Amino acid sequence: MKPERLHPALDRITRVRGVRGAMVVSAEDGLVVADALMEGIRGNAVAALAGSLAARLARAGAAAAAGEQRFVHLAADGGALLLLPGADGLLVVAVTDQHVNVGLARLEMQRAAEDIA
Amino acid sequence: MADEIRRMTAELARDPASLVFLQLGDALRLQGQLDAAARVARSGLERYPDRPDALDLYARVLADAGNRRAARETWERILTLAPRHVGALKGLAYLAYRERDYDAALDLLEMALSEDPADQAVVLALQTARAAAERQDAEFRVRTGADIFAGIEGADHAILLLDARGLVLGGVLRDLRGLVVSEAVAAYVAGAAQEAERAARVLELGAWQTLECEGTEGHLHVSPPASDTILLVQRDRAVPAGRVALLARRAAAAARAWLEAQAG
Amino acid sequence: MKSRVVEPWLLAPVDRFVRECGARLTLIMTPSGQVLAQHGFTRAVEVMSAAALGAGIAASTGEIVRMLDEPDFRVLNHQSARHGIFLGRFASSRGPLLALVVYGADTSIGLVQLFFEDLVADLEAAAPVVAPRGPVLAADFERDLNESLATLFR
Repeated sequence: MKPERLHPALDRITRVRGVRGAMVVSAEDGLVVADALMEGIRGNAVAALAGSLAARLARAGAAAAAGEQRFVHLAADGGALLLLPGADGLLVVAVTDQHVNVGLARLEMQRAAEDIA
Repeated sequence: MADEIRRMTAELARDPASLVFLQLGDALRLQGQLDAAARVARSGLERYPDRPDALDLYARVLADAGNRRAARETWERILTLAPRHVGALKGLAYLAYRERDYDAALDLLEMALSEDPADQAVVLALQTARAAAERQDAEFRVRTGADIFAGIEGADHAILLLDARGLVLGGVLRDLRGLVVSEAVAAYVAGAAQEAERAARVLELGAWQTLECEGTEGHLHVSPPASDTILLVQRDRAVPAGRVALLARRAAAAARAWLEAQAG
Repeated sequence: MKSRVVEPWLLAPVDRFVRECGARLTLIMTPSGQVLAQHGFTRAVEVMSAAALGAGIAASTGEIVRMLDEPDFRVLNHQSARHGIFLGRFASSRGPLLALVVYGADTSIGLVQLFFEDLVADLEAAAPVVAPRGPVLAADFERDLNESLATLFR
């Protein structure tokens, strides 16, 4: 992991319209590694729940032979949670509103994952 | 018919060994005089204990009187004496039909028809049993949800409806080898759906709508079509995510329709 | 498995915590090792041992933290191959309390910490107001400890 690249990578994600916060999370622990969050976003909650969701979905994916996880999109009435597994057990996470361009957000998350690897 | 019964009764009185007891017993049975029919049949069996048509008469009387166990035993005894006795085959087919074992009924009737292709009663009974078997299959499909997603791409291997506890309600999921993996996947998907619901709630994102996971080999699309139910649509990685979402919406509508039918 | 509590107001917050974070074992206790609630333990001796060890860990960690000129620790976590052991310290209307939590691979330290904060808030909201207590005598302490252990295994 390249720690000096963490915050620039997260900043690029947050510049996508509709993204309210971006984080790098330790997937297994559900702990924050780095974050760039707007007011009102509970970083520790996002980290813990993102890690748990990714883990449970990975088990479902393995049982269904869907292969390794590449991207997860939880869409809700009032927003979304985007997860992108990176190297070294890290998870790139974005919290967004419901109007976000998911494709664009995903692109920046992918770049972030590559940058910090 | 009353005159005919009187005539046959008189003949039997004159000659107790006469085989007229067979027609007399059946006539009485058809008139609903089951006690009299049973007496005639038993009396005939005392003289002709191993005669298949005498046993057949007695079995019919027993069946009409509701004593299906004794009727079955009698018909089965006939088949030990005459393995392809049409009356016994028809009788056992009738009992199977009454017990909704339509496959067994069809097998027995087809055996009877092969013995006597001109027996119209057997032909009609076959038609009746086949229609009943088809109705039973249709009911089974509706009850088990095997047809919930009929007509939707992937219905036979890639769409699953489960309840919130992870138990399969309908549809089927197969792995790349074609093996059914519905139960195992359902359990894990229910866990993921629970976590999605919790994440959306705790993070104040509102009610969760869909959970999409793109893997290196395939997509999973999870959504709640109705309360306490979860829909999983799985697709190969070559299928674009947008198309998966479209299929999932169609499947969700089908699931809701089926659930409403179950409730109604 | 149900949680066991010394006082009823503890039950709902502890049950909710265990349910949300998936903890396998949970103890709520005073820094001196007096247990107020437990979940997952089946024998009194296990509760006593865990409480004593947890209190010891909290005390020694507190000493290290004071050497660093800080008021006290908030949480600490030990991770073994199959389990994590979490110790959280928090203030309450009943005085300082400790939460000792053992969890497995089906959850995470992140979730335990997240719902630990909710537990603290829930306990505070549920705690009834009590009159201040006088000094605790050694005999009273021993009696109170035995009574609370009996309650936890009723």
